[in-house]
Amino acid sequence: MYKYSIAFILLMFSIVNVQAQPPIGKAVPEIVLNNVDGSPVSLSSLKGKVVIIDFWASWCGPCRLANKTLVKLYKNYKDKGLEIYSISADRNKNAWKRAIKSDDMTWINVFDEEMITATQWRIGYLPFTFIVDRRGKIVAADLEAKDLENEIKKLL
Amino acid sequence: MKKIYLIFFIFLSFQVTAQIKKVTLQAGGLTCSMCSKSIYKSLVAVPFVQDVQSDIKNSAFIISFKENEVIDFDPLKKAVTDAGFSVASFKVLAVFAKQTIQKDAHVTFDNKTVHFLNAQSQTIEGEKNFMIVDKNFVTAKDAKKYSKLTSMKCYETGVMESCCSKTTAANSTRVYHATIL
Repeated sequence: MYKYSIAFILLMFSIVNVQAQPPIGKAVPEIVLNNVDGSPVSLSSLKGKVVIIDFWASWCGPCRLANKTLVKLYKNYKDKGLEIYSISADRNKNAWKRAIKSDDMTWINVFDEEMITATQWRIGYLPFTFIVDRRGKIVAADLEAKDLENEIKKLL
Repeated sequence: MKKIYLIFFIFLSFQVTAQIKKVTLQAGGLTCSMCSKSIYKSLVAVPFVQDVQSDIKNSAFIISFKENEVIDFDPLKKAVTDAGFSVASFKVLAVFAKQTIQKDAHVTFDNKTVHFLNAQSQTIEGEKNFMIVDKNFVTAKDAKKYSKLTSMKCYETGVMESCCSKTTAANSTRVYHATIL
């Protein structure tokens, strides 16, 4: 009985943990989602780089505007070790692909059709970004465009 | 000791006839409601709101509430309009402890008066969903449709009117209009 109740409590905790925004200062939880070609790309494969995790959608105007900043950042800091992992909340795969092309998003683009990650991570609105350092630790969330560059400069 | 608990429990069960569990709200506006922090932040800032979860897929905000707080619908609507959006749909999940409802009769629970527009006489118990269908809680188009469900003036004014029968409440009391789902 005792054993079961411990297991139950642990289970409760794990459920609570899953439904929470990953806290700043903690290791980033693993994400594996499919890219444009349908191949899985894991977040953990980017360890050693500074990663911007970007939740967005093609139908989200402010996201498209923010893409302009991301394009600039990627161009300037890609060679210094910056990677961007953009998670789309689109439902229409073609609209998603079109937006990637027209916005010139040359980084990693993955598709979260059922929005499982966005729900688990409790994303309140789009766009929403997290910054992960070279060791895989979340160092910032929801930064404005200008603060994004300052933070990245610090980490690279 | 047990008796005290029992008395307390009975007292409690008379006091609370319905408990509002959550509100699922969809907002409309010129831009998409999920593409702005304004609604989210505005809802989170409402004093009795415990948590807001965005359902990006369905463009809905799922709002849960602090325990032991009186929950009201107007402040939630105001949070959305203050953020520059309008409420397009407002669904309430409540747990009822045996509540009799009738068409066009007012039900008072948790300090709110609710007028069920489409309900046949029935007793509701347990978890129930209802939609608030007052003006500014639905789209203008839907409000027109719902206004046809009653000839009573309170739908237009949102407060108790002389036509509202079987009630002791003052004429200025806020009345929410709802349909059971």
